Amino acid sequence: MATTTPSPRGANRSLARTCRRGAILLLLSTSAAMHAETSAPPTVELRLQNHLFEPSEIHIPAHTKVRLLIHNLDSTLEEFESWDLNRKKIIFGNHSATVFIGPLAPGTYRFFGEFNPKTALGRLVVQ
Amino acid sequence: MLIDSVIIVLRETLEAAFLLSLLLAMTHFLGMTAPRFRAAVLLGLGGALLFDVTLHAVFDWFGGIGYELANAIVQLLIYCAILAILGLLMRGRRARHRTQTPLRWLMAATVALAITREGAEILQYFSSLTGQTGAISDAITGAVIGAGVGFSAGTLFYYLQLTLGPTRALRTAAILLTLVGGGMCAQATLLLIQADWLPAQAPLWNSSGWLPESSPLGQLLYALIGYEATPSPLVVGIWLASIAIALLVALACRRHAAVNTTAP
Repeated sequence: MATTTPSPRGANRSLARTCRRGAILLLLSTSAAMHAETSAPPTVELRLQNHLFEPSEIHIPAHTKVRLLIHNLDSTLEEFESWDLNRKKIIFGNHSATVFIGPLAPGTYRFFGEFNPKTALGRLVVQ
Repeated sequence: MLIDSVIIVLRETLEAAFLLSLLLAMTHFLGMTAPRFRAAVLLGLGGALLFDVTLHAVFDWFGGIGYELANAIVQLLIYCAILAILGLLMRGRRARHRTQTPLRWLMAATVALAITREGAEILQYFSSLTGQTGAISDAITGAVIGAGVGFSAGTLFYYLQLTLGPTRALRTAAILLTLVGGGMCAQATLLLIQADWLPAQAPLWNSSGWLPESSPLGQLLYALIGYEATPSPLVVGIWLASIAIALLVALACRRHAAVNTTAP
């Protein structure tokens, strides 16, 4: 029985088809989860001064997205980081930065300044 | 200060060293002339300076999420380079004369991008020490130690790969490269969630009980493959999709190569 070998043109079409499928797969995986926000989340402010977070303990409601506005009042930059919250962001000196957190289940989540981990420590209490 | 510096620089160096050792092992087993990795390292260091400067300029863009966007773009560029490397690798031995040059360029570009990203973070750490004259010397010592440990680990990993046979080593390297690419996409997704460009969700699981991210192994796995103890469904979905795309690209290129080989 004779067998047919796909032509290079056919292989190119197959490659293009595969790439298209891959792009659709990536698009679907992101677009399936995206939704429109109709209202701005509440803002909680946090100050960083002398490599200390003030307040060192923040309270936010459970299951609510919150905009954390961090004011770095020091002249040097700091990196706000939290393994519990999966957040990491550089904040330049005398600058402010926004980090969105939540919605979170009730509990305590720690955060710290990566460049001053002994002093820049804080907790987010979700109730 | 010394220990903090060691840890910070080690974390940043480990990712670049791991990627570099993977790619070096690949070139060894492919019998390729090594890409200009030295030039790539220098380019990466220059890129780190440029990236740090650019970050200052773009930080407040799009409502204060320029940092997240800039980092996510670099991570996605690394992922695209990894996809292209995997695709060219799968074209097979017969196409090597055509794929060697683009492979070398892509590998060098991947290393340069990784060093740009990690180097910028180290630069930012040092800028945070401005004015603390007493701390600078400890930080530099710690940085040298951290970088030394990081590159030593990369070297050890390179020689470990050489103990495998060529086929097994290339297969292992391709799998690990795919996982690194997946990690890049996962980290980019987290940044976009942080920027509120992608929705935040409750975690799919919580493995911090047996492997916390803060542990040395957790941090190592985060640096290498983007391990998260509490990943959201979106992060897991995008990680899986990025792995799937890498596999699709590899299989498609292998099939394409097989067809071109047998075509009259």
